[in-house]
Amino acid sequence: MTTLEVRNLSKTFHKLRAVDNVSFTLTPGRTVALVGESGSGKSTVARMIARLVRPTSGEILLTSSDGEPVPRKAYRDHVQMIFQDPFASLNPFHTVEHHLVRPLRLHGRSRAEVPHLLERVSLPPDFAHRRPHELSGGQRQRVAIARALAPGAKVIIADEPVSMLDVSIRLGVLKLLARLQREENLAVLYITHDLATARHFSDEVLVMHRGRIVEHGPSDEVLTRPEAPYTRQLAAAAPDPDARFRQGGQP
Amino acid sequence: MTNLSPLTEVAPEVPRSRNRWRGLLPRWSPKLGTGLGLAGAIVLFGLIGPLVTGDPATIRDFGLTPPGGEHLLGTTVTGQDILAQLAHATRGSLQIGLLVGIMATVLSGVFGIVGAYAGGVVDEIFSLFSNVMLVIPGLPLVIVIAGFVPPDQRGTGTISLVLAITGWAAAARVLRAQTLSLRNRDYVAAARVSGEKTWRVICVEILPNLLPILASQFVFAVVLAILSEAGLSFLGLGAANSSTLGTMLYYAQNGFALQRDAWWWFVPPGLIIALFGGALALINFSIDEIINPKLRDRARRARDVVAVETDTAAAEQDAVLTVKNLNVVYQADTPVHAVKDVSLTLRRGEILGLAGESGCGKTTLAYAINRLHRPPAEVTSGSVTFHDRDGEDVDVLALAPEELRAFRWVKLSMVFQGAMNALNPVTPIRAQLQDVLRTHRPGMPASDREKRCAEVLRLVGVDPARLGSFPHELSGGMRQRVMIAMALLLDPQVMIMDEPTTALDVLVQREILNEIKRLRDELSFAVVFITHDLPLLLELSDRIAVMRDGEVVEYADAEEMYLRPQHPYTRELLASFPGLNDDRGALIR
Amino acid sequence: MNYYVRKAAFYLAALWAAVTLNFVIPRMLPGNPVDILMAKLQQRGGSVDPAARQAYETLLGTGGGGSVFSEYVAYLGNLLRGDLGVSVSAFPAKVSDVIADSLPWTVVLVGLATLLSFLLGVGLGALVGWKRGTWLDALVPATTVLSAVPYFWLALILVALLSTGLGWFPLNGGYDVVLDPGWSGEFIGSAIYHGILPALTIVISSVGGWLLGMRNMMVSAMSEDYVLTARAKGLKDSRIMIRYAARNAVLPSVAGFAISLGFVVSGSIVTELVFSYPGIGSKLLQAVQNNDYALMQGIFLVITIAVLGANLVVDLLYGLIDARTRDRSVVS
Repeated sequence: MTTLEVRNLSKTFHKLRAVDNVSFTLTPGRTVALVGESGSGKSTVARMIARLVRPTSGEILLTSSDGEPVPRKAYRDHVQMIFQDPFASLNPFHTVEHHLVRPLRLHGRSRAEVPHLLERVSLPPDFAHRRPHELSGGQRQRVAIARALAPGAKVIIADEPVSMLDVSIRLGVLKLLARLQREENLAVLYITHDLATARHFSDEVLVMHRGRIVEHGPSDEVLTRPEAPYTRQLAAAAPDPDARFRQGGQP
Repeated sequence: MTNLSPLTEVAPEVPRSRNRWRGLLPRWSPKLGTGLGLAGAIVLFGLIGPLVTGDPATIRDFGLTPPGGEHLLGTTVTGQDILAQLAHATRGSLQIGLLVGIMATVLSGVFGIVGAYAGGVVDEIFSLFSNVMLVIPGLPLVIVIAGFVPPDQRGTGTISLVLAITGWAAAARVLRAQTLSLRNRDYVAAARVSGEKTWRVICVEILPNLLPILASQFVFAVVLAILSEAGLSFLGLGAANSSTLGTMLYYAQNGFALQRDAWWWFVPPGLIIALFGGALALINFSIDEIINPKLRDRARRARDVVAVETDTAAAEQDAVLTVKNLNVVYQADTPVHAVKDVSLTLRRGEILGLAGESGCGKTTLAYAINRLHRPPAEVTSGSVTFHDRDGEDVDVLALAPEELRAFRWVKLSMVFQGAMNALNPVTPIRAQLQDVLRTHRPGMPASDREKRCAEVLRLVGVDPARLGSFPHELSGGMRQRVMIAMALLLDPQVMIMDEPTTALDVLVQREILNEIKRLRDELSFAVVFITHDLPLLLELSDRIAVMRDGEVVEYADAEEMYLRPQHPYTRELLASFPGLNDDRGALIR
Repeated sequence: MNYYVRKAAFYLAALWAAVTLNFVIPRMLPGNPVDILMAKLQQRGGSVDPAARQAYETLLGTGGGGSVFSEYVAYLGNLLRGDLGVSVSAFPAKVSDVIADSLPWTVVLVGLATLLSFLLGVGLGALVGWKRGTWLDALVPATTVLSAVPYFWLALILVALLSTGLGWFPLNGGYDVVLDPGWSGEFIGSAIYHGILPALTIVISSVGGWLLGMRNMMVSAMSEDYVLTARAKGLKDSRIMIRYAARNAVLPSVAGFAISLGFVVSGSIVTELVFSYPGIGSKLLQAVQNNDYALMQGIFLVITIAVLGANLVVDLLYGLIDARTRDRSVVS
């Protein structure tokens, strides 16, 4: 069981404090949602955990199942990321197979696992020979999920994994993530701007505003009875046809 | 509960190609064919010609023979065979072009790609160096260098090296810009996250996507090298003992070829350079089309507005816009029927929502209403009728170009998606607002124009002092407000809004929506609001049309649609948006 | 950093690089230019005293003696005073005087021809892009093939056809030699008459580059949302084309002026030779053929400074026509 703990993480870009003293823990079998608007710093948190951006200060501690800290070299065996835009996260030049074989190889696994990986994300095995432009957005995102699973990662950072997809296929991808999380006991950080999916797909929620965590707690509590003024504003701003028709109010 | 397997989603229809290189090859076109044919012929001439034409240096006692007979292209002043000389010279020039092309491309790759990928100080230094090399004029530098090197030490290698050193900078700049953009692509980040080493990221992930640009820069470097070498040799500064088209021209000039009317001596070498350069330029056009698909040739269009049934049938009462059986087809190789038989009625002052996912035809429909669709899109049948306040009916599809221009914005204005690019980035807001008044109210005094612009800005809650601002100086929400203000300028009866809040954050979206509702109540224009966000429409609109694959599958009052959705697709869409206050977890577990 | 400060800093760096390059080249390359120069000087009856020798050594480097650094300082000092040495090919004229005599010819010829070619290319490019899909498309490959023609070859063909053949233009020179150079109407008329053919060569060869660049950008700009907005606004076509599409499409052409100017200047040097034009290009070649190293270096420096200056002016103008550059703090 791998646990990832983020302690007092901060990042400063050109004097602007993009992430300010953020702490939380990802534990196996649980999904934590990080909610915020664009510019809130949520993607920077994701990129720091994925080691794409170096933190200005703070720590990211990874503990493996035996309670020992994971050595730096093995970090990427454990922590992987799913990106927002499935049209940009697959290299147009390479086949699906390339996208899966490389991470398998880099983490000492065999390329024979490719069909199995595709099966886990509900794609037929012959998709291995396709290239990204032959796939729909949802299929691409499934390949991206398979790529994140390839090294055998136990911590998955999902940065707005469905916001670029058509609405009717979003749920399918989210359900796939939820199923994998359950079946493989993954620790998932689900980053989103959408309060509703945050509530439905996570156990815990962190609300981020201007680089700081302004509210933190179990998703049900935080999102149905928000305390922080910012969370309340967000909750009130989301379109809500219920209010219009259920309570008989016509604007 | 919906259970959407990934295969229900339609994958893009593209010809399957197993070969990854296929996508990098240019599309066949007459230009490409001509270019490849010419370049190939010249290369072949340079390769095979010297083997069959005999010794170019053989001196004969009949100088300046015109073309024909034994000497197909005539002879020089000393009786040497021009064809043989030409073959050897072509080979020499091609060699130098190839050598310089390779060296310059490698140099530009190192300085452009590596610098841009490394970023930080390395990039700053590499980029400064390239830019300095770029502004120092090349040929004068080459001339000075060649001037200092004694002739006996001026070999082909030296000349090539000097040409490469002075010729790589422009390509490096292009490569740097492209690498900077590729470097930030998510697939590069993904490769880094999977643990790829830096050199592998550059060579395997970035380089293949730069190939078209590298090819185009290589081709350009070859042409430049051949031209520069010719210039240098013509000045007598070329490589010692070399035989190129430039040296041939040098001897022709010094043998007074043109003055003696021996055009066959002077014209062919230059012509070969020009043809080869032209051929490579033609090939480059095709490579450019891979880099920027917008440049692809478009079929010429014969017709603009197609015969449409002008059956402006009895309009619904209170209607301001009636769309009847409208069909729009993209006339591609396999025509795509983007809008199928759509009929809609927009009532005065109402908000009509148009919902659908990407590619469902909602934007095509909106553009066709105002005839903004562009070729290859074509309205094949149907009618669009605007019912003016004064009772007159306007058949929009039948308007002559000038009438259409006068109709647009006055009766019907639009607010586009992503306000960043909908505003002209290089002129201030004022000019873009005033443009509308200048065109549609030519008699309006300047002071009134200014007043009206300030007035509409105030209407949408933007400080009129912002009139002097450029679009990039405004926030996303502010730009969208300016767009709405612009749409209000002429007090139109209909406003079409295409995803006006999609790029905005939730809080800003809420402000803009409230603003639209308030303005609609105050000014009572009708709105066609296009979005993929059905809950938003349910909250905002009076009536909603749901589109799928070009068809309106459901068209009803918002309340009716919310409480009793009829079509399965509507139900599927509604289920795709879990409400914040629905039972938790109902969707997953 | 401020846009203008950054630009100024860049051009200072480029100037320094050019000056230093000029200092380094003769020292790095094989051969002993100072000895050659002294020999030439002697032939022309110049003084071969140690002072003259030392002056050349400061410029070109020595076989030994004296540190490179002190030479560099002395070289920079000479430059600041405008002292570029003595020309041997035009002995006893100073290099700076030779350049001062020929520079105006080149500046006027190349300047006007470039401006003409830029305006023509950009204007035609905008039109070809706007009228895409019509016969105007054929202009693109046609002019591009023209830019692959060697300048000097085109010049000679033009001379053969238009001057020798038809007698419309003079064969060579910058003005009618029977006239005295001065500001008389007759002289200026003659200079213009002599300048037409060289200018025509430059314009024909360089217009294709501008045209292609502008046309491609125009095609891209036309699919931008702001052009769609302008159409929806019911603006006149001419207004959309000029104020919206072309106004944006011209920016890269202006920004890329540096690249193109280098090509034009390079080409015009050879063109000057063909026409025996009394400009700086002919002088450069004359210097090279006579091993007049001091003149060569002086001319290279002056050409470079002129190109840098022209680019600086264009960059400053660019700041005026695109407000975004002025506000952008990160280097592009």
